[in-house]
Amino acid sequence: MSETTIIDQPIGGLMEGITDVLNATAVATLSAGEPSWLQERRAEAWSAYERTPMPTTRLEEWRYTNLRKLLKLERLGFDGIALDAATPADEGFELASAPERLRTAMEADREASGHLVEIDGRVVHVDLDAELAAKGVVLTSLRQAVVDHADLLKEHLATNALPASRGKFQALNAALWTNGVFLHVPRGVRLERPVRVTRYLTEGAAGSAFFNRTLILADAASQVSFVDEGLSADFDRQTLFSSGVEVMARDGAQVQYVSLQRMGRGVFHLQQQRTLAGRDSTLDTLNVSLGASVARTDLNAQLLGPGANSDMLGLCFGEEGQHFDHNTSQDHVAPHAKSDLLYKGALDGNARSVFRGIIKVHKGAQQTDAYQTNRNLLLSEHARADSLPNLEIEADDVKCSHGATVGQLDLDHLFYLMSRGLSRTQAERLVVLGFLGEVLSRLPLGGVVEKVTRIIEERLQQG
Amino acid sequence: MSDTPILSIRDLTAKVADEDIDILKGVDLDLFKGEIHAIMGPNGSGKSTLTKVLAGHPGYEVTGGTVTFRGEEILEMEPDERSQAGVFLAFQYPVEIPGVSIANFLRTALQARLDEGDELDLFDFQDDLMARMEMLEMDPTFAERPVNDGFSGGEKKRNEILQMAMLRPTLALMDETDSGLDIDALQVVSKGVNRLHEENPELTILIITHYQRLLNYIKPDRVHVMLDGRIVRSGGPEVALALEAGGYEEYRVADAAEAAEAARGS
Repeated sequence: MSETTIIDQPIGGLMEGITDVLNATAVATLSAGEPSWLQERRAEAWSAYERTPMPTTRLEEWRYTNLRKLLKLERLGFDGIALDAATPADEGFELASAPERLRTAMEADREASGHLVEIDGRVVHVDLDAELAAKGVVLTSLRQAVVDHADLLKEHLATNALPASRGKFQALNAALWTNGVFLHVPRGVRLERPVRVTRYLTEGAAGSAFFNRTLILADAASQVSFVDEGLSADFDRQTLFSSGVEVMARDGAQVQYVSLQRMGRGVFHLQQQRTLAGRDSTLDTLNVSLGASVARTDLNAQLLGPGANSDMLGLCFGEEGQHFDHNTSQDHVAPHAKSDLLYKGALDGNARSVFRGIIKVHKGAQQTDAYQTNRNLLLSEHARADSLPNLEIEADDVKCSHGATVGQLDLDHLFYLMSRGLSRTQAERLVVLGFLGEVLSRLPLGGVVEKVTRIIEERLQQG
Repeated sequence: MSDTPILSIRDLTAKVADEDIDILKGVDLDLFKGEIHAIMGPNGSGKSTLTKVLAGHPGYEVTGGTVTFRGEEILEMEPDERSQAGVFLAFQYPVEIPGVSIANFLRTALQARLDEGDELDLFDFQDDLMARMEMLEMDPTFAERPVNDGFSGGEKKRNEILQMAMLRPTLALMDETDSGLDIDALQVVSKGVNRLHEENPELTILIITHYQRLLNYIKPDRVHVMLDGRIVRSGGPEVALALEAGGYEEYRVADAAEAAEAARGS
């Protein structure tokens, strides 16, 4: 069988990625009625998007994810403008009448300090514990925050953490976000239960593009955990879901950010996250990638203050037809900080995963502890995992390590378990759950471990 | 003892799946209900292979012969089916399963033995597990540790006997359970095995070992000597004592003489 030779097009023109619906007019329409600082910010972001060429596989960061083949921007619709005007939240959302997948997901979350629900890009519900609200905690839609918390947004939205200058898709999101989440935890306030955000795309979302942003500000000595869960129907047309996530932990704050990606097939999930960890703060992240057809996550963790600590955890479970790409960086700017990354993936069918991680220790960031581990388990001979760990160290007094493995299910493991009476399926399930469970056990956040374990169990049972 | 052996091996030949030469070259062996047998032999004689073949290790291929367990031909059965039928293999090198606790593992294994729709009684299970761990002088916190992950050699072997105690097999194959054990651990493990045999006198045990040492604690009814894939001598406990004194040389010589004779005859 011969393969058609694909001749690489010359690196696209500067206007690459601009379509009939994703264009400057869309930005202008979206900006109408917004404060001028935001209009300017969107316009600047759009111009950065226009200036930045579409990433190709010639770039190290996109080597194994070929956007030419995988992303069809020109076919996407964009209804965001019409959908979510600056309407404030709550349109009488009833959990009982919500789509089943959304309802099941939310019913499993018993404990919460507050909820925000977004359906097809519209924020339809927000609630927050009254005591916390009285202490000054703010949980609201981003649109509403533009009105109510203009100063904070002006200072922090797409500026310090995730500015448009960080890349093509960061710019696209900063220009075209239609809504999202704003969470502000004032100094010293501690939230015992997580804040839960649930986003859902209905069947009607097929073929459209969605852009949302999340801005989390945790002031000094505050504490909060945030679980961001994304679900959708399955689509027969590519549907784009783009999330920009900015998390800031001020001095001594403790923040946990969890993303639970459970989108349906047909979704191209783009997620750009950046975390800024201040002095003596803890800023941990967990990215769980279970769904979507293509899922690309960029996570840049900035360790900006001495004593900052970031655990960076990731887990993916892929099946036939899924492609995951995790691109992480651990940026040690301040001395005496620690980051510890563990990403694990189990892949079945012809699923593919890419992990590219870099530890960057800047000059002067002495006494850095930085670790990076990526482990992959292939459950089928057609699955594939590529791992590209990297170090870039400009300080001389540091402890750093990185390691990556790609392995298959061990016959001896299976035999051992089967010799105790477990069927092959049960044995595989136990090995896979044990393998991935190590990640979850490092961030035992209420309900997340159980939920993820159950999802993986169910999927292994079907397989 | 009944007249029918519980385990009957006839002219069993087997090899490593992707190699050509047989490791087992015609093994014949009968075990009757409740008996304790020991197979001794030097490295590479095929005694560990025999236990793996009996338990159904996918890395080995049976090239001839039969194995009947409780009247049923088991060579076509999957390892889990053999386990459910009552065969247990205590591994020489137990496998580490990171992230899976002993309790979870044993719960799953016991649940798998129940009929569909039946649920394991978790309180009974917990009581049983704690009692068995106490018998084997294991710390209760062990139950929550991942299976064999980071265990010492002795801890791994105790864990094998713990599993044997929990799964209640009718036939236990113990592959060099004594290797890597200090004398204290050896005594604890042997005591555990003897206790299980007392509780269930019908428990049949096949012990694979290099050394007489273990047989001081677990008294065999029959001892077999294995050499180059065959059982070359069978007898009472005195066989083990003779081996301890004289080694395998006489069998090697006898074996060579026999081979020469066979060659002349053909």
